[in-house]
Amino acid sequence: MFSALVKKEFLLVLRDKHALMALFIMPAIFILIMSVAMRDVFSQESVSFKIAIENHDKSPTAKKLMYNLFKDKNFINTPKEDADILLILPKDYVKANKKIEIDIKNSLKIEEIDLLKAKLLKHVLTLKLDVIQEKLSDFSDEAAAAVRSVALDEDKLLQIKYNEQEKIPNSTQQSVPTWIVFGMFFIIIPMSTIYIHEREQNTLSRLFSMNVPASLLVFSKIVPYLLIAQLQMVCMVLVGIYLVPIFNTPALEINGTLSALFFISFALSLSAIGFSSLIAVSAKTTEQATTIGGISNILLGAIGGVMVPKFIMPQFMQTLANISPMSWGLDGFLKIFLQSASVANIISESLMLITFGIVTLLISVVILKIKANNGL
Amino acid sequence: MIQVHDVHKSYGDVKALDGLSFHVQKGSIFGLLGANGAGKSTILSILNGLSTYENGYIEIANLDLKTHQRDIRKISSLVPQNLAFYERLSVRENLDFFSKVQKTNKEQYQKAIEVNNLENFLDKRAAFLSGGQKRRLNIAIGLLNNPKIIYFDEPTVGVDPKSRSEILESIKSYKDFGITVLYTSHQLDEVSMLCDEVAIIDFGKCAIQTKITPKTNLKKYFWEQTNV
Repeated sequence: MFSALVKKEFLLVLRDKHALMALFIMPAIFILIMSVAMRDVFSQESVSFKIAIENHDKSPTAKKLMYNLFKDKNFINTPKEDADILLILPKDYVKANKKIEIDIKNSLKIEEIDLLKAKLLKHVLTLKLDVIQEKLSDFSDEAAAAVRSVALDEDKLLQIKYNEQEKIPNSTQQSVPTWIVFGMFFIIIPMSTIYIHEREQNTLSRLFSMNVPASLLVFSKIVPYLLIAQLQMVCMVLVGIYLVPIFNTPALEINGTLSALFFISFALSLSAIGFSSLIAVSAKTTEQATTIGGISNILLGAIGGVMVPKFIMPQFMQTLANISPMSWGLDGFLKIFLQSASVANIISESLMLITFGIVTLLISVVILKIKANNGL
Repeated sequence: MIQVHDVHKSYGDVKALDGLSFHVQKGSIFGLLGANGAGKSTILSILNGLSTYENGYIEIANLDLKTHQRDIRKISSLVPQNLAFYERLSVRENLDFFSKVQKTNKEQYQKAIEVNNLENFLDKRAAFLSGGQKRRLNIAIGLLNNPKIIYFDEPTVGVDPKSRSEILESIKSYKDFGITVLYTSHQLDEVSMLCDEVAIIDFGKCAIQTKITPKTNLKKYFWEQTNV
């Protein structure tokens, strides 16, 4: 009986083109769009300022500063009329130790101005060190060499680790887990459509009259949707690895173990199935189920860090995020993609998801039994 | 075969069944006539264990419905008014599914196909069947468990005259297999043509139960006994 119910559910979902689009095409498109759109946010080489330089100091040092600035990929040499920033080196800038004048043409954010200042300072200080070194060399080669050894190159002075790794997370690593999580909860659409259609057409009544227990009806939906969810996860990962790079965006890198990836995916899908099942058995019409399902998915996503990353939320919102199963799933996936996590590292998130799934499934069985006793 | 005695059922303040009583002979085709809201669907629902009742007594095949619901379900079958199958599955896939759910045998499976003339549409998606073919599939599913009792809830709604006549003929043939049929309908001519006996339900009560003979004027009974 169980295998027949599972096979039926499988066939029904696989023949529902709209549901398949919602489950596979929609998150794949989101991954593509968001990875490409967020590419520059996560790129190290992204910050660049369009600058023009007005040099009134004809000294070799000033010329060298100009040369160094244009060599830096953070600065793009632009005609004065198109530049965002105009740098003015006044007459006797080096000799009289004058300030560089910075004329900001277009609006820049405070953090961009800070970044501009930091990047400029690096070049100015390097130049000043060169001058000091040159002067010192007349007196002491040793002192000059000591000054020369002072490097202002960031890579030589600073070692940055992102989540204990030297690699920066790329936009694809951020967007793939987000849309896997969001996409999985969209099984509410096929599940509720099939369930409510069964109820409206009296197929459920017929099955009950054939002694099919409510628990079996609910649990038989787990197997097909679990498999579909794993397929969904694999497809989204493949989109991240193979499709996204076609659009000049970094490919997805999985730093954690594959067993961890499948374990969190299993736990997340169980929780999505339980939640969808609960809405499907509670709703009266397909419209009600898809509306409630859609809204609750968006709310859980917004709270859980799908729409807005948790790390930029205020503290109380980050605490609130913990009530959303999407947040548990997202944390688990991010640990795997960014932190080389194994099953042991994602066990707490997985257990919470599995518990949520089991509890919601059991509540669904109770609701279905009550409805069955009351003539659906 | 079926004894319904003084059964009461309410939905809040609304009395759906108000002391309904009737009895159905084994192997007969029994018609339940009544206007909308008379209580036909409620009693069908109760007889199939899909709804409870407050007072009264129901015995089916000498078994008390309240205590032997599972056993009674095994020997009975419901053919709902709606097309209670899966339109995205083919005829064969639907029959396979309902057959496996009830663990029925191949012989019965074949019989359900033959009696309902479904041989030529087995691989057709149910959604693409004609109205009459859909009705026949709906009925075939009801035959899969080799039932001793079949409950038909207005099985000819929305069916063209040719298919209607085919359906009624196939239901008539169930008598040859010793199946007891309980048939609800609005259609007086259908019940007159098909049934051996009829009960007219009005406001949750049995207004009259009578055998149908060539002389029975069902129309007269219906207008006299109901408040329609």
